[in-house]
Amino acid sequence: MRRRLLLVPVLLLCAAMSALAAEPLEITLAPDGANPASPQMGEHLQFGSVIRNTGGVSLHGIVAWISMVRMDPGQEQPMDLEDWSAHKAVTRATLAPDGAITVNWPMRLIQAGDFRVVISAVTRDSQRIVTSPFLDFHVRPKPVVESSRILPVAFGMPLLIGGLLAFRMRGRILRR
Amino acid sequence: MNPILLIARKESRELLGSGRGLAWLLALSAVLSVLGLLFVSNTELSLLDNAQVVTMELGTITALGALLAVVLGSDAIAGERERATLIPLLLSPARRTDIVLGKMGNQLVGWLVMYLIGLPYLWAVGSSGQNLAQACAYLALFGTPLVLGFGFLAQGLSSRAAAVRSALVPSLLALILLGGPVMLGPSFRQSAIGSWLDRVNPFAAAINSFDSVVIDSQSLSAQLARLAIVLIWLAATAAFARSSATSMNV
Amino acid sequence: MDVDVDGLTLTLGGRPVLDGVSLHAQPGEIYGLLGPNGAGKSTTLSVITGLRRAASGQVSVVGHDPAREALALHREIGVLPERSGFYDWMDAPDYLAWFAQLYGRRLTGPEITAELAQVGLDGRNRRAIGTYSQGMRQRLGLARALLHRPRLLILDEPTNGLDPRGRREVHNLLLERSRQDGVGILLCTHLLDDVERLCTRIGILHQGRTVFEGALSELATASNEGESYRLHLRTEPPAVPLPPGVELLAWQGEWARIKLDGTRPPEDVWRGLLAARWPIAEIHQEAGGLETLYLRMTQKEEGPA
Repeated sequence: MRRRLLLVPVLLLCAAMSALAAEPLEITLAPDGANPASPQMGEHLQFGSVIRNTGGVSLHGIVAWISMVRMDPGQEQPMDLEDWSAHKAVTRATLAPDGAITVNWPMRLIQAGDFRVVISAVTRDSQRIVTSPFLDFHVRPKPVVESSRILPVAFGMPLLIGGLLAFRMRGRILRR
Repeated sequence: MNPILLIARKESRELLGSGRGLAWLLALSAVLSVLGLLFVSNTELSLLDNAQVVTMELGTITALGALLAVVLGSDAIAGERERATLIPLLLSPARRTDIVLGKMGNQLVGWLVMYLIGLPYLWAVGSSGQNLAQACAYLALFGTPLVLGFGFLAQGLSSRAAAVRSALVPSLLALILLGGPVMLGPSFRQSAIGSWLDRVNPFAAAINSFDSVVIDSQSLSAQLARLAIVLIWLAATAAFARSSATSMNV
Repeated sequence: MDVDVDGLTLTLGGRPVLDGVSLHAQPGEIYGLLGPNGAGKSTTLSVITGLRRAASGQVSVVGHDPAREALALHREIGVLPERSGFYDWMDAPDYLAWFAQLYGRRLTGPEITAELAQVGLDGRNRRAIGTYSQGMRQRLGLARALLHRPRLLILDEPTNGLDPRGRREVHNLLLERSRQDGVGILLCTHLLDDVERLCTRIGILHQGRTVFEGALSELATASNEGESYRLHLRTEPPAVPLPPGVELLAWQGEWARIKLDGTRPPEDVWRGLLAARWPIAEIHQEAGGLETLYLRMTQKEEGPA
């Protein structure tokens, strides 16, 4: 009985080591050398990744994608990259041992703030997700149009003039 | 009351009090509203620098003001002729010159109304940015002679035309020809023809001044040459409209 | 003279439109200007009112030369053009008040109401003029022409669009203005009924020329191509042939209707009949209706069809 109980942690350790050994993907992430030193809203950034098969067997059905979160204190949230980038994922059917995929990740800076990007990848046979190291960057704000001012004027002015027009037409109809 | 003021006042009442006049103002305001909404909803436009947005707004208000001036001017005499209201006016003690000057006075009112409609939009897009006060001042300084010039051109054609259409079409053509090149890309404007056009085109003079003052914070002294161009435009078109008094046919 | 026009000529678009127009209206009289379409009536009015300049001729209207003193002239005449527009977005009181200011008059509310009432319009009606019928617009045009108490009214088809009652009201207004205020009226119209009722003298234009000017009664003589007469006979006439140029139309009891062919003056015919012992007690001319005379006059100028 004691022998069987001692066997459980050993078996668990072997399983974990076996799982670790089944994800031979390595992902790097680095900013492009041409990126502005202090990027501002509206500018473009580019990041580069290398996804390498570090195992001894070919990997199949590889999907790698970029994710971003906002890190401003009190405003932490995942970001929808819809307007930021049109190139959000890459796929490869097979990656031979020691083979690599080089990917560029272009991005338009839509908002100001502190952001963190990471590249994630899975294969068809993988048991877990593989990620690159995080990359943090700051986007400076710039003065743009504020919707809180535009909306009242954009709707209010036509309503005002339209109201005046309706008042005139009503007066004319009544006088008939 | 002076016949010039009487006629100008009557015309202004029509612009501000009749269904047709208010409908025009509503349509112009709607255009400014659509542009304003695009500034906040369209990804590309929402990323524009605030100063660029203010400059675009200035250009739009000026262009719309010129359009209104062309419509008012084309209708000024030819419209009265079509509606058979010109002859009673010519048979009154008002001189032909009084009639022409009264109509030109109405152009000023039309632009003033357009300017006042445009101010809230300027505030809405520019209040968080730079040079808003200068923007308002330069809209008055450059926009007024430019817009009035188009109105006077249209009015001068209206006196000589048999129908409103015959004055409206060439006036709109002039507006497009002078306003169009300004909207073209920098590569055209930097070409030999483009840069020559830029130097003599009153529309370009106004738009470039808006650009220089709002975005680059230049002073008035740097705009004097452009101011001279728009003032020459105003003087020439005013003389053309004024001369139409003698060629006003029944 | 209120209107003194002699030898007016004018060419438009290379075509002679006026080729010797003359008309002379006395102060305070109602003068009818007639003529077929295209005769030059409206063009003549445009020269008289200073809207156009004649190529040649003398024109004086209430003592002013329209070509040189148009402004002074416009203060003394009131004009209702054939096609008269209004600012349709205004109402009638506003319109009259504004127009009066052009003449230097500031009308009060009661004054505006009175001006409109004289032409049969309600001064309390604040409907836009654009909703008015043709008749109402015509009345408003008349009110506009009368606003500044002119010495001379020049009216082109003033009863256009009016019903019979409206026409009668306008006639009465014009007659009143003429008789009581001494306002001269130059009336251009196609409606011969209006001419017969209103006018003391007329001028007829045809193909750019004046073909007749004078009193209505003179028109019958001028257009004489064979007039009819009624002779009242005391007894039966003798059984002798009628003289040449005389045609017996009918017997109506003691009255004989005869027609002269115009080759001899009527006086010679009567002398001949009396010499032939015709028992003539009275002679009455049967004048043709104005329409007949007018058509005869304008056809005479064209020549036989």
